[in-house]
Amino acid sequence: MSEQKRINLMVCAGTGCVSAGSLEIKKVIETEINKRGLEKEVGIVLTGCNGLCAGGPVIAVYPEEIFYQKLKPEDIPHLVEEHFLKGRPVQRLMYKMPEKRKAIPVMSEIPFFKYQVLRVLRNKGLIDPEKIEEYIARDGYQGAAKALTEMTSEEIIKVVKDSGIRGRGGAGFPTGLKWEFASKVKSDIKFMLCNGDEGDPGAFMDRSVMEADPHSVIEGMIIGAKAIGANKGYIYVRAEYPLAVRRLQLAIDQAKEAGLLGKNILDSGFDFDLEIYQGAGAFVCGEETALMRSIEGRRGMPRPRPPFPAHKGLWDKPSVLNNVETLAGIPQIILNGAQWFRSLGTEKSPGTKVFALTGAINNVGLVEVPMGIPLRMIIYDIGAGIKGKNRTFKAVQLGGPSGGCIPESLIDTPVDYESILATGAIMGSGGMVVMDNNNCMVGMAKFFLEFTAEESCGKCPPCRIGTKIMLDILTDISEGKGNKEDIETLQDLSHDIIATSLCGLGQTAPNPVLTTIRYFRDEYESHINDRWCKAGVCRDLCSFHIIEQLCTGCGACMMACPSKAIMGEKKKPHKIIQEACIRCRTCYVTCKFNSIKILPAKFEGDPATLVEVPAGAGMRKEGGVE
Amino acid sequence: MSDDIKILVVDDEPVILKSCKRILDAEGYKADSASGGREGIITMEKNAYDFVITDLKMPEVDGLTLIKWLKKSRPDIGVIIITGYPSQETIKDAIELGIIDYVPKPFTPAVLIDVVKRAIEWKKKKVSDEVKKEEEFPPSMIAELDRMIKGYRNKPGSLIPVLQRVQEMVGYLPPIVQKRVSRGLNIPAAEVHSVVSFYSFFTMKPRGDHIIKVCLGTACYVKGIEEVLSKIKKGLHIEVGGITEDKRFSLEAVRCLGACGLAPVLVIDHDTYGAISPKKVTEILDAYQPVTK
Repeated sequence: MSEQKRINLMVCAGTGCVSAGSLEIKKVIETEINKRGLEKEVGIVLTGCNGLCAGGPVIAVYPEEIFYQKLKPEDIPHLVEEHFLKGRPVQRLMYKMPEKRKAIPVMSEIPFFKYQVLRVLRNKGLIDPEKIEEYIARDGYQGAAKALTEMTSEEIIKVVKDSGIRGRGGAGFPTGLKWEFASKVKSDIKFMLCNGDEGDPGAFMDRSVMEADPHSVIEGMIIGAKAIGANKGYIYVRAEYPLAVRRLQLAIDQAKEAGLLGKNILDSGFDFDLEIYQGAGAFVCGEETALMRSIEGRRGMPRPRPPFPAHKGLWDKPSVLNNVETLAGIPQIILNGAQWFRSLGTEKSPGTKVFALTGAINNVGLVEVPMGIPLRMIIYDIGAGIKGKNRTFKAVQLGGPSGGCIPESLIDTPVDYESILATGAIMGSGGMVVMDNNNCMVGMAKFFLEFTAEESCGKCPPCRIGTKIMLDILTDISEGKGNKEDIETLQDLSHDIIATSLCGLGQTAPNPVLTTIRYFRDEYESHINDRWCKAGVCRDLCSFHIIEQLCTGCGACMMACPSKAIMGEKKKPHKIIQEACIRCRTCYVTCKFNSIKILPAKFEGDPATLVEVPAGAGMRKEGGVE
Repeated sequence: MSDDIKILVVDDEPVILKSCKRILDAEGYKADSASGGREGIITMEKNAYDFVITDLKMPEVDGLTLIKWLKKSRPDIGVIIITGYPSQETIKDAIELGIIDYVPKPFTPAVLIDVVKRAIEWKKKKVSDEVKKEEEFPPSMIAELDRMIKGYRNKPGSLIPVLQRVQEMVGYLPPIVQKRVSRGLNIPAAEVHSVVSFYSFFTMKPRGDHIIKVCLGTACYVKGIEEVLSKIKKGLHIEVGGITEDKRFSLEAVRCLGACGLAPVLVIDHDTYGAISPKKVTEILDAYQPVTK
């Protein structure tokens, strides 16, 4: 940070906050500050993603670390006047725990931040990602300097191996080992590659790292290149991430100018050149051999291994491909040593892991936690639990389309590679999507199969055709055309696809189906046998009914119903006309009294036989209703 | 209608010539005949034709030679071959020379009529397509394309970046543009097409003035993007991958925008909209007016 200011404002300019209007907030702050002549005392920095995306736009005020969220332009004059001029922080704009009134002013005391340990994300919200000086001021490029000038290739590999860091892309292969393989192959041309093709739906860790701290990725690549002896590198980034591409390019240009990329880096005699390669939207390109083909300008289809990329990779030259998060963690390992890295996490899964916490949860955002902490802590302490009244935790989905759903009974599972694998899910790249009782697990499995069926590259018939058949079965089940044998057929097909597919996509595609059958078999059965989707998601398998005893006659559902299917007088129990109901769930979501129940399709009769109906509950015990 | 169409039949067997002429005349086409390749060329020097139906095996000037001459001297004439020896090789050669279709010998009148009709349809469509394409891409843009492509020539692995740039300039990648890339980079057109069809980023259909990208990621799914999507589909009367009649919008589904914190999310052009609901979406779309050209 250039000059000393009395107050420094860190305005989040991550994708989340920008779309919530943080750039406009910055403009208004500047005008207000200038109006009051504070421009010499208050500094404004646009930072990368702060992490608490749910609160966007957010700003943090240093040195006190006061955190403001959900800012609107009209809040700013008051905020500038009160806090920046008069020194009285504004409670109204601070973070509050759900359903609590008390504001938590200081960032490090907010549970979302309190339980996190920032290593890979250590610069998030603190530096301007577009300025190399700010990265350097935070020990940036010191790891690379140490690796290039003081260490041999073997020494670098030894530190990385001893640290036990495993690939953060999902499979968890030890990074040091990968480097060792490639370093031992003799070749005058080798490639160091970075996988920024973050394709898992529900994951945005890599995007945030590339946007918030692009230099850390570049530094990690320089160290890796030195370790394996590569002089050329590519960062493969999805074209869907324009901001990441722009910031990385800027960072590369700055590093070149500073002599940190190019010929004879830091007078060490080592050359390394780096280029960005934009992907073109194919999920399978996250697989290493497919990614390399894509850089070669061809269809991104995987090929059998061996030969492994460490021997024959990009253009048949020895190549190493590491994930963004892995590489961003490397400089600190070189600088602080293997033991430092091992001080957190478990024996087999040391260090920290970044997760993208999303879905039906209060604190949506980016979090970094030590490996081995229980899922419960991430969901309830950091994530502040399930969002909305009458909603309960149902499952958490890890690993995207390759992963699985972990149910409530396993919520104390520690987050490490082996424990997660034992549940049937995978650690994956870090997407963590929380689901509540409004999500249908059959629908969830179908959603992922739609994804893999479409993204299958088509090379292996079991994956190409098998996923399609599974999708058809799941579609039938969700439309009420399921058979009793379907569950078994799905399981059989799954095992066949896993056994006979070439790459990770096919080998893991059935996981979402297998885990949902394993933990939520009853939901499949009620879909098939009772034509009843209890979450009310599969429209052909549900009907909505108002329980008279619970209805207060407030009329909210009637107002909300888009097809005018609800009738009733004020303060008298309403009724849904089933023939007119389009089962859009609007009334169910709107009702504050939990009086609308989801019953099987075309249900007639007494709801009390299926759902709990409290006798004599509700506001109207006498009069009104007969 | 069909009396505008003039057809020349070339064969060394008088019986075939006669019957072809009879069948075609009865259908209202104007058919002439020539008893060999040489006579065919002479006839065509004198008169204009829309189609030539020719045998392959003929003494002296055979069918393939005739087709080669046609492609060079009369490229506008559509070629149909008749062959009693449907060997893979000769047909392959003929197809490579650009024939429209072939009639296997022996044939019934119905088959011949059918093939001719199809050929007429195909040619009509092709002509209108080509005229349209030429109109759509002004020469200046073509020149700019070629210049850009040339810069990447001989650079390994440049096909995808080139296609990305081309799509940026043209908006989409129709076959004619793919051919341009293929020629410019000296890569087979089939390979260019194989890449275009593999990656979802590339599109062969024109796009609207504004591109709506609806995120179908897990977080957005969990938070109800489907309802938003169906609202857009109904409101604009388009499907995913489609374009509105007034070309104002095209609708695309993307796998994950990586903005899960804002779920459900959609992006229009370069603006991201988070936490959208079916209600809000109409309002958002109204703000995007057609681009006046």
